[in-house]
Amino acid sequence: MSFLSFEFALFVGVALLIFHLGRAGWRPGLLLALSYVFYLTWSPLHALLLAAVTTGVYRTALWIESRRTERGKRAWVALGVMALLVLLFGFKSASWWLKEVFPHAPGAMKFVAPLGLSYYVFKMLGYLLDVYWEVLPAQRNFVTLALYGAFFPQIVSGPIQRAQSFFEQIKNLQNPDAEEFATGLRRILFGLFKKLAVADPLSVVVANVHANPAGFSPLELLAGAYCYWFQLYADFSAITDIAIGIGLLFGVRGPENFDLPYFSPSIPVFWRRWHMSLTTWLTDYLFTPLRMSLRTLGTVGLCLAIMINTVAIGLWHGLAWTFLAFGILHGIFVSVSVLTQKRRNLFFKNRPALAQVRRFAAPFLTFNLVAFSLIFFRSGSFSAALEYIARLIPGFKTTAIPAMRLDLSLLGISAPALMFCAVAFLAGEAVTWAARRRLWVEWFFARPVFLRRTLYYALITAVLFLFKGTISFIYARF
Amino acid sequence: MTRDEIHQKLTGVFRDVFDNPGLEISELTTAQDVVEWDSLMHVNLVVAVEKAFGVRFTTKEIKGLADVGDLMQLIGRRAK
Repeated sequence: MSFLSFEFALFVGVALLIFHLGRAGWRPGLLLALSYVFYLTWSPLHALLLAAVTTGVYRTALWIESRRTERGKRAWVALGVMALLVLLFGFKSASWWLKEVFPHAPGAMKFVAPLGLSYYVFKMLGYLLDVYWEVLPAQRNFVTLALYGAFFPQIVSGPIQRAQSFFEQIKNLQNPDAEEFATGLRRILFGLFKKLAVADPLSVVVANVHANPAGFSPLELLAGAYCYWFQLYADFSAITDIAIGIGLLFGVRGPENFDLPYFSPSIPVFWRRWHMSLTTWLTDYLFTPLRMSLRTLGTVGLCLAIMINTVAIGLWHGLAWTFLAFGILHGIFVSVSVLTQKRRNLFFKNRPALAQVRRFAAPFLTFNLVAFSLIFFRSGSFSAALEYIARLIPGFKTTAIPAMRLDLSLLGISAPALMFCAVAFLAGEAVTWAARRRLWVEWFFARPVFLRRTLYYALITAVLFLFKGTISFIYARF
Repeated sequence: MTRDEIHQKLTGVFRDVFDNPGLEISELTTAQDVVEWDSLMHVNLVVAVEKAFGVRFTTKEIKGLADVGDLMQLIGRRAK
């Protein structure tokens, strides 16, 4: 059942009815049952696996807590973490092994990892480490822990909520008030609009340029690379909006995943604003312990910790050479940025005129570095990515196509559609920016009801007009 | 080491790590009060503190720090 289907809308409607009519004490149990119903529509076998993982983690956390010695605690946490990592890498690497080593094996191309495996395994890993670090007591209520792993709005594409924040909300799970409910609905509507008005039209351009880079000019390939950046963000932030919105309808507030990543002045800042629930997770549970273990190695240890962290981010998306290249590239970008930061700051401090240029040049450079790395992220193979990059450089490959040609019809989008995309995107970003800073919010809600409703109805009409059947999200496959 | 000595030395470490010569810290200072004090900087800060005071912390210990006061207490327990 996709997030963008009539079946899912129907499911959410029925789930809301059951949830809101149920007694207060039953709500976590109801939500857990509903989450498993949703998961069962994907695969009963994988639902069993999810239940087994939850049970194992529940017991392990209690064992960690009950051990008297540090050695005993460490043994249990190591066992739990190892078991979860083996599970994650086992499933993630299975398709890679089948593709690389046994390409002709029956069913090799049809292997599917359990839905949301990366998300729920990361949640459970974080929970076990929190219990070990005594940040959090072990959860005694099995329903609460099971719901944490299976919570249906978050299982497909995150966000990866921290156990503490989730448990606190579930302890006193209330029906959301009217304002919170309306906020949830608005988030869902904005998400749907962003997906259909921005991400999907751009996906056509991206698919075209990646299918045959030889048929496009360097300028068109550059436009294609930029389009993918915008598509990925619109797509992923849309599903996050929908996930957070649905969570709010059930009284659960999820963490944000994005904070205007396009305007990042450096790659480390970009990673603080992009897929925040994953990157903060990795910083806390992977980078910090690694950095601490490798601190005797000085700068080498720092760079190694950064590289392992960014490679983990890359490979979290799947075991493929393209994701590895993406991770290594970002490891280099982040390391260079961190190691040169002080010197750069000093250089610009003494040159105020250049510092003004830096304010605009730095986000532009960051934008381009990310767009470049995403060529690997999007390409079907490492060689395809290299081919794309080679054709991006004017004169590097022999071609009869003029370097500066920009034929929109060949790219697969009309000028008005592109304008509409751009306006919809900028409007969406402006709303996000203003809402985060509580700007214009009071002003907007002070407008007459009919004006606000007109906007919502316009968005709903646009969504219905643009919707052409079940659509999948990029991050739903990770 | 006295609390004042720890505070004085720690201020120097903070100023160096955050590249801000005018930075002032108190026992109540938290990550919310210092721009750029995120998880990544937190661990860099801990490493710099260890080096300056000649002490070693575990990951578990640094996870439990809520504010500068906690960090000063931890240093006080370890530093001679």
